[in-house]
Amino acid sequence: MQHNEEKTCWNCPAALLKGNVDFRACGQSISAIRNKISEEGLLIECARRPDLGLFEPSITFEQCPEWSETQYGYLLKDMRVMILGIDGYLGWTLALKLAKLGCRVSGIDNYLRRKAVAEKGSKSVVPIADMATRLRTAKERFGVDIDFRELDLLDRDELAEYLREVQPEAVVHYGEIPSAPYSMVDAEHAIRTQHNNTLGTLGVLFLIKEICPEANILKLGTMGEYGTPLTGRPIFEGLFPADAVLTWRGQEWSMGGELTPRDPASFYHVSKVQDTFNVYEACKYWWLRSYDVMQGVIFGVHTEEVAAYPDLRTRLDVDEWFGTVINRFVAQAVLGIPLTIYGSGEQIRGYLALEDAMECMVRLLSSPPEPGQYDVVNQLSQLYKVKELAEIVAKVGSQRHGLTVRIQRVENPRVEADEHPFLVVAKKLRENLGYQPKTPLEVEIDRMFTLLLQPRVRERLESVRYTVFPTTWWSGEHKETMTLEVYEPGTHVTAGYSPDLVVSDHDGDE
Amino acid sequence: MPHMKELIKQGRLMKMRSSLPANSAASWSSMITGTNPGTHGVYGFTDFIPGTYTVSYHSSHKLKAPPFWMTEPEKRVLIINLPAAYPAQPLNGSMITGFVSPQLEKAVYPPDLYPGLRDGGYEVDVDASLFSRSISLFLQKLEETLDRRTRLLDHLMEKDGYDLLFFVVTGTDRVEHHLWDAYADSTHDQHPEFLGFFKKVDAAVAHVTSKLDHDAPLMMLSDHGMGPVETAVNINTLLREEGYLVTGNTPRKNFNNIREETRAFASESSKIYLNHVDRFPRGSVKPEDTRKTQGELVDLLSGLSYNGRKVVKTVHLKQEVFRGPEAGNAPDLVVIPENGFSLKTGLFKESLFEEDFLSGTHTDDDAFLYLRGWSQEDELPGHPRIEDSIHFFRKLMENV
Repeated sequence: MQHNEEKTCWNCPAALLKGNVDFRACGQSISAIRNKISEEGLLIECARRPDLGLFEPSITFEQCPEWSETQYGYLLKDMRVMILGIDGYLGWTLALKLAKLGCRVSGIDNYLRRKAVAEKGSKSVVPIADMATRLRTAKERFGVDIDFRELDLLDRDELAEYLREVQPEAVVHYGEIPSAPYSMVDAEHAIRTQHNNTLGTLGVLFLIKEICPEANILKLGTMGEYGTPLTGRPIFEGLFPADAVLTWRGQEWSMGGELTPRDPASFYHVSKVQDTFNVYEACKYWWLRSYDVMQGVIFGVHTEEVAAYPDLRTRLDVDEWFGTVINRFVAQAVLGIPLTIYGSGEQIRGYLALEDAMECMVRLLSSPPEPGQYDVVNQLSQLYKVKELAEIVAKVGSQRHGLTVRIQRVENPRVEADEHPFLVVAKKLRENLGYQPKTPLEVEIDRMFTLLLQPRVRERLESVRYTVFPTTWWSGEHKETMTLEVYEPGTHVTAGYSPDLVVSDHDGDE
Repeated sequence: MPHMKELIKQGRLMKMRSSLPANSAASWSSMITGTNPGTHGVYGFTDFIPGTYTVSYHSSHKLKAPPFWMTEPEKRVLIINLPAAYPAQPLNGSMITGFVSPQLEKAVYPPDLYPGLRDGGYEVDVDASLFSRSISLFLQKLEETLDRRTRLLDHLMEKDGYDLLFFVVTGTDRVEHHLWDAYADSTHDQHPEFLGFFKKVDAAVAHVTSKLDHDAPLMMLSDHGMGPVETAVNINTLLREEGYLVTGNTPRKNFNNIREETRAFASESSKIYLNHVDRFPRGSVKPEDTRKTQGELVDLLSGLSYNGRKVVKTVHLKQEVFRGPEAGNAPDLVVIPENGFSLKTGLFKESLFEEDFLSGTHTDDDAFLYLRGWSQEDELPGHPRIEDSIHFFRKLMENV
């Protein structure tokens, strides 16, 4: 049984809402204004099958010839997916995967990521082709046509024109500056991050409302929106579950369905929280549909598509601004720099291999929320302490690649809890969307070592060595972080809190 | 209704049978094509999309027989408020369709009529839910809608000449559904308003007929009759209680809840479908079991009674009443209730019988037909069906 076979036109972006009919006295009442539409007697028209006329939204994906079965569930045939930020680490990888699955992929990018990394004096250590070469190679190797416009998300007139042309059935919004340290450099960087992310997203929401209100919006959020509550209360998937209750002064209030608290940890994370509210409101006001994807920290270099040919590779950043922790550890191991853990290294975070993240995104595209539904998924495969990750990277580096890897504790330039409980709920992708983590951490780390140790890549890595060490402090200072301790892998045990990941309703049952 | 009274003196008035089933989509399709649903293919406002339990709504594209204006394309016609004609399709003349017309823009032909209608606040129909909020506002809206239609008629006839005028009043149906009790009871608070509305209708009839020469061929008809309703009968509840209908529990209360153990279910008040293996995704009734199952259901429905009163007047079998190329898509049974009962087809109603929220309901055998200009020598069948009416009208036109 496919996870989405019983989903219906309610979940299909080809279903155009046309109003309501009331047959109780052979009459009708129509409210064609989108936010006035009600569920009772809703009429739709299928954008793909206009010959069906007006009908109730109840054809199942299994019954509908426009949805075809794939290994990820039923997928809308030739789905028109627009990726905002298609040139990025995730954007390009997803574009190739979707195109190979038969989606009609389009995308925009203003190369902001390439420029911001260059501003730091760094570059992708895995060599990546320019967009024209990427598109040509995708066509030659996979026979797929990906449509691209060099376009700034904030240029609403141009974007509106492109959206009208494409009429996307899904919009994947990766078009944001994805770096906490970048947003903490100074006022200019903080403002640029919030301006691009928050106002860019707000503008996109208005355009989607005007041009393609049925589109499934996959908005990339981050697990960092939630923070790490020191009470250890659960991190739910964006909204409180139905049975959540607040007790205060001896009285109980249901919290079911309300947004859970956010506690961002940088001005970048604040922009993501602001996005969450904007998307939430847009769904409420205009019956848009969205998944807010609270993604864990992504790592890795591999998907079947990007690994197929050098010019199809996606970027890999290891600098202090845009490199994520596992990617940076592997780079440091190759460079012979002791792996930098901040403070105690007891910070717990959610992680996800690139390949798994892409599968999750496909599954989310396969099962759109209903009109007006704002849904949230916590997208991660496992929780780890930073300290544990350093041990695993060191182990893979030394045992499989003969490297000598050490670990160093440095001052923590961030304002964050070094030690904290972390109870995370991540059920929806597994229980509702059929996702099972596929890529073991060690396997992906091994792939990264293999790639980074290639002479050409290693040479590039050496050339950006000086960008790896953290110098951006949350205090606003810019200075080297002091090394507190350098130690051999296997000599330090982790202590304190244990990661606690809930992936099913049955977790924790006796 | 003095104008109606005067008109009746000038012509012949008789009772007419509605279509089977007696809903407006089937009956108006029968009227305009002169055929029965087995030929024109419209059995109601709703149908099932093949291979699904999804209800699709009527569209003029589903009409399988040509309407009268297509068979006489040389005649310029003006059609205002014709039910079940949406979306409006090209014709020699002008058309504004009646209910159900979700988007006014698609309800008009030629398209350049649309901006004027939109800006003038033309409404195809009145929001029926208004009744529960304010009866006086509901009636006021019905009157306004009728006024707008007659003004539209004036406007269009000033602009252009037509050979044939087709004008439908919908408000009578709405008022009778909701206020039959006010009609029947002269002490009812809304009794004067009910009669007042019919006075407006009478004036509208006078206005429309004033556009014609005094001896021009004129036909008036209703697509069904109306009578009081006391009790609503939830047919699917009966079918569930008797084991013919087995439902599941999907998030929405639609026909996707039908399980494969189901043998029959009812839809759109009077239509019963067998859960055929070759028609529905979880079908269970094999072709060879059709007659037997129909027979069982006829017995079940015919035997139904409420407070000692018989509930069902007739159960028609598909193969006995529908003829033509579209007969295969017909419901397997069509149920006609006795007067005083209305049939409902909600899937999850607990009680078999309940009070109807409406006070009037359609009747199938006392629609009316009026003809002016019918030669006394020409015979008329004693009790015509609605699909006969257009043939009579053609004959009237021949005599002009």
